[in-house]
Amino acid sequence: MFDTVLVANRGEIALRVVRSCQEMGIRTVVVHSTADADSAAVRAADVAVQIGPPPARRSYLFAPALVEAALATGAQAVHPGYGFLSEDPDFAEICADNGLVFVGPPPEVMARLGDKASARAAMAEAGLPLLPGSRSTVDSAAEATALAAEIGYPVIIKATAGGGGRGMTVVRDPRDLAKAYRSTRAVGQAVFGNSSVYMERFCESARHVEVQVLADSYGEVVHLGERDCSVQRRHQKLIEESPAPELPESLRRRMAEASVAGAKAVGYVGAGTFEYLVVDDEFYFMEINCRIQVEHPVTEMVTGIDLVREQLRVAAGLPLSLEFDGRGVSLECRVNAEDPDRDYLPAAGLIDEFVPPGGPFTRVDTHARAGWRISPDYDSLLAKVVVWAPDRPQAVARMRRALSEFRITGKGIRTTIPALLRILDTPEFVKGVHDTSLISKLGTAT
Amino acid sequence: MSIVPDRLPLGEEPPSLADERETVRELCRSLGDLVRGPAGRATRVVMAAGSVRVEVEWPVGEAGSVVPSGEGNALEAEPTGEVLRAEMVGTFYVAAEPGARPFAAVGDVVAQGQQVGIVEAMKLMNAVVAPCAGTVTEVLAADGQAVEYDQPLLVIAPAEQEE
Repeated sequence: MFDTVLVANRGEIALRVVRSCQEMGIRTVVVHSTADADSAAVRAADVAVQIGPPPARRSYLFAPALVEAALATGAQAVHPGYGFLSEDPDFAEICADNGLVFVGPPPEVMARLGDKASARAAMAEAGLPLLPGSRSTVDSAAEATALAAEIGYPVIIKATAGGGGRGMTVVRDPRDLAKAYRSTRAVGQAVFGNSSVYMERFCESARHVEVQVLADSYGEVVHLGERDCSVQRRHQKLIEESPAPELPESLRRRMAEASVAGAKAVGYVGAGTFEYLVVDDEFYFMEINCRIQVEHPVTEMVTGIDLVREQLRVAAGLPLSLEFDGRGVSLECRVNAEDPDRDYLPAAGLIDEFVPPGGPFTRVDTHARAGWRISPDYDSLLAKVVVWAPDRPQAVARMRRALSEFRITGKGIRTTIPALLRILDTPEFVKGVHDTSLISKLGTAT
Repeated sequence: MSIVPDRLPLGEEPPSLADERETVRELCRSLGDLVRGPAGRATRVVMAAGSVRVEVEWPVGEAGSVVPSGEGNALEAEPTGEVLRAEMVGTFYVAAEPGARPFAAVGDVVAQGQQVGIVEAMKLMNAVVAPCAGTVTEVLAADGQAVEYDQPLLVIAPAEQEE
């Protein structure tokens, strides 16, 4: 096992990774921008290295600084967390070139799966079901028009390099297609540096269900059950849970088997997530996330497996020695510094009071505290409230109780807590039959 | 004038490293204010980081009075000037190669844009250049030391002081 690991991230996930390292007796190096010089992860780390100014492209996205920090501190491995450089095959390669272990899949696997069109092709080959759509990229407006007519409206145009809910356009009317095609290409180029796009049929009411897999370097792949992430606003998740409620047992099994087969087909190594749309009793492959996910704690709660620990073990070349054995129900709510009444506009500021919930089977992953200033330079995730219970009604009640306990105040500070509580009370959510249209139906988002 | 950080910011043992580095940073800021303050120019400044020690010495008999610029010991009484900071994480070098003459030593007069050091990052040698003409009054980072972003490297007293 490594004796020093560098954590190339910030916020709650940096602290999360540090904590697993500490439990494993691994020394930690946390890198930070000048805005995060006094962050919770920096405080918890054995060594902290300031790598740049607040803008991420000059700090958390700046590979040379990360590598220099790792080499200067004697780190043998780099854990990228989620976001930032976590799915960047070039960064993984730079790490390898400098003798550092990147905690994630091999660069060539990440490159193949990071391009959504080529991931789609690879999974079709492995026998996974896809929504009707383009076989690879769509390279002209004429081609887009012809294809949309063939697969039927509405369609969704997606940037092959997109992510985080950006670079996607839904088209319901053929007259809007050419414009949407051009604008999605432009967003892809501007945000992700790649203008290529692909197209799929768009499902108005679908559930978003994903399967967690773990793979070691010896070809062994296990799944750790699924998570339902259907509560989304603007394609960004707000509530996740495991297992997915009201999912037929045969479908659950088929999705898990497909994910394991898909991971084996591409030589996957590490923790990964297969995302699917579930429509009626069918599932369709969407994409693979080559990283630890924000919502990984719900899987940890039902399986009792520390996913970060497993990532580190696999990266150190150890074989997997676990199998899926889920128990009970876990929910996660994302408490973001956003104003749900103003279309989830980020609400940065200084936190005066911060009292996270406690009590039975309640876990809060957060980097925030009283006196912490929420920086406008980074994403708005403030805390993840995760609960476990033997069954779903108890888990929902426990989450309601936990969120009601959570006190966060400060000038200008608004959080998603009121919106989360409203969602927990909707009949669809209580029954576990909600889909991705839930929030827009509630009218709390556009 | 000498500022002597007695611990390196990188690769040190915990637990109080982050606090200590912040202390050093705060000390550097405060010292800058102090030696430019109404008490007049200091002739000697010593700073330690481990247990936090600061010593400032003013010319005898002049404490509390403003020392007109241009007076006093030419070498020791230079005011704190422009602090050059590392623009990236890397390794600081004072010379082009081991054993070579340093680009700049304390007391050297440098021109604006003149190279005064190197920060090596990813095998690229990034020149550290003087932002103004003046005299090097301190070299704060040791040769071969790992430095982090924004870490003070050298201090240059500008050649032309405004009266």
